[in-house]
Amino acid sequence: MRKGSWVTRLATSVVMLSVAFTFAVPFYYIVVNTFKTQQQTSVSPLGLPTSLNLTNYKNVWDNIPVLQSFGNTLRVTVLSVVVMLLVGSMAAYGIVMRKTRSSRRIHVVLLLALAVPFQVTLIPIYEAFVSLHLIDSLNGLVVIYCGGAIFSYFLIQGYMLTIPYEIIEAARIDGCGTVRMYWRIVLPLIRPVLVTVGIFQTIWVWNDFLAPSVFIISPQNYTLVLQVYQAVGQYTTNWPAFMTLTVLSLIPITVFFLWMQRHIVSGLAAGAVKG
Amino acid sequence: MLSASPRTPQGELTRDVRPRPGTSPQVVGPSGRWQLLRVLGPARRREQVSLRLFVIPLVIIFIALFALPVARSLYFSFTNFGGYSNKVSFVGLANYRALFSNATVLTGLAFTLTYALGRALIVTVLAIPLAVVLNRKFVGRNFVRAAMFFPAVPSAAILGLVWAFILAPISVGVVNSALGALFGVGPVPWLSTNFLARLSVVVVGVWQQLGWHAMLYLAYLQSIPGDYYDAADVDGASSRQRFFYITVPLLAPAMTISIVLLVVFGLQEYALPLALTGGGPGYATYTVSQTIITLGISNAQYGQGAALSILFLLMVAVVLVVQISILRRREARLR
Repeated sequence: MRKGSWVTRLATSVVMLSVAFTFAVPFYYIVVNTFKTQQQTSVSPLGLPTSLNLTNYKNVWDNIPVLQSFGNTLRVTVLSVVVMLLVGSMAAYGIVMRKTRSSRRIHVVLLLALAVPFQVTLIPIYEAFVSLHLIDSLNGLVVIYCGGAIFSYFLIQGYMLTIPYEIIEAARIDGCGTVRMYWRIVLPLIRPVLVTVGIFQTIWVWNDFLAPSVFIISPQNYTLVLQVYQAVGQYTTNWPAFMTLTVLSLIPITVFFLWMQRHIVSGLAAGAVKG
Repeated sequence: MLSASPRTPQGELTRDVRPRPGTSPQVVGPSGRWQLLRVLGPARRREQVSLRLFVIPLVIIFIALFALPVARSLYFSFTNFGGYSNKVSFVGLANYRALFSNATVLTGLAFTLTYALGRALIVTVLAIPLAVVLNRKFVGRNFVRAAMFFPAVPSAAILGLVWAFILAPISVGVVNSALGALFGVGPVPWLSTNFLARLSVVVVGVWQQLGWHAMLYLAYLQSIPGDYYDAADVDGASSRQRFFYITVPLLAPAMTISIVLLVVFGLQEYALPLALTGGGPGYATYTVSQTIITLGISNAQYGQGAALSILFLLMVAVVLVVQISILRRREARLR
């Protein structure tokens, strides 16, 4: 950090804080309007509410199964992320430990999958899901998100190469088998990368709109994002109600962000620096 | 479970376990030390085989969710498969020809490319100076960082809906109210004319991604040693020179990652334009993803939908290869 006079520092603060506030206006806008009536919103959409009116929250909570959608999203996210981390780390362990020609070949073939967008496999998967009765099913969504295991594999594999080999060798001399070595030695050692990958995959699955919008039909299976998207039609003119639902739906991911903020930033750093 | 493994042909194992010329056990560095495993001899054979089992679940996922579906998409793209009848016949390139004479498809391709490249360009140009500023000390820095990063956290679908309200020509549309109050301009049809709708989608996309990419650059900036700047100070470099001759070249590897992510995810964009404009006005902000879903799922024209997804795959692959080779060459030149 280079020295600068307090004037430039102050100027930087003022400019950057105004930029940040401008960026945050959309969030301010949806939050303040949840405490207003429809008429107040239409008169002054950016004004502060005159009172802490919670009618909108009660109204939305009573009419929209927010909790159910939350439960669905939570279930799908937890299951998919656990599978992705487990399958990805197992494969990374197998391939890094073996280092044979065939495992290198598998590694290269897997790399191809990273270039395949979900849109490309969407139609055949949809067709297969029709015959497997996985349409309109939360488990079907989990199956789709398992594809994220390949991306997880690459990040975990890169990290695993940096583990000191002596640890593995010591465990091996003590007669540690492959399964125990994976579970007791390797998994604890790669915890940092599991956290990073877990966070990024959680945000992806939690926010995904494409898969639920195509594969989920009945309202009782809606994820949070889909629930908000479907409700906007119902609330075309009741803006405060729509914004209340939006705010409710953003609470979990915001809490998650605040809780994991430190890890998100260090994850970005690790990704950027490794190249 | 593990004892079932020694059925694997012995020949392959011996070949695999034998040390390769050039890999001496003294090799240092992480991967070199891991390669020690291969010279440990036949005592490790059983372990090698059981390690193979660890890879199987991922291979199954690869086959079930990538290899087979891509192969099937390719197959569908040459047939008239409609999803309902079992009578499938080959139609050659008819699906591909139909796509190229379909105005919706072509608009979608053009808009998707414009969005992906335009957003990548704007975000990159803004994120690097932003990261430099965020690296300085000033009051409220942590708040600014968090506030600018936060738009990347919620779902693009939800943010698109929120922006649809903000840009609306009605009283809740604060952008138009503000413009009206400040400059007396009538409501601007942000989302209902072709050009402005496309522009709005790109701007909201930039708003969402800018902070995230600035943090990526920031993380990288923090790993640049201060010595470079000290040396530049001694030589009397201006701050503009420092930015263009030290910061930007040193950020080249981060630029590769950031731009590739922006373009690849930009090409796959689906939720944001759909939520913001519904693909409209008309088909002005239709994306390739939306066209694939409309054709392949809603209209059950599997053949055409599959043909478009194959074209899309080729497009993504070409863009990836071109981009990575250009950016890598740039990295090498700047080093």
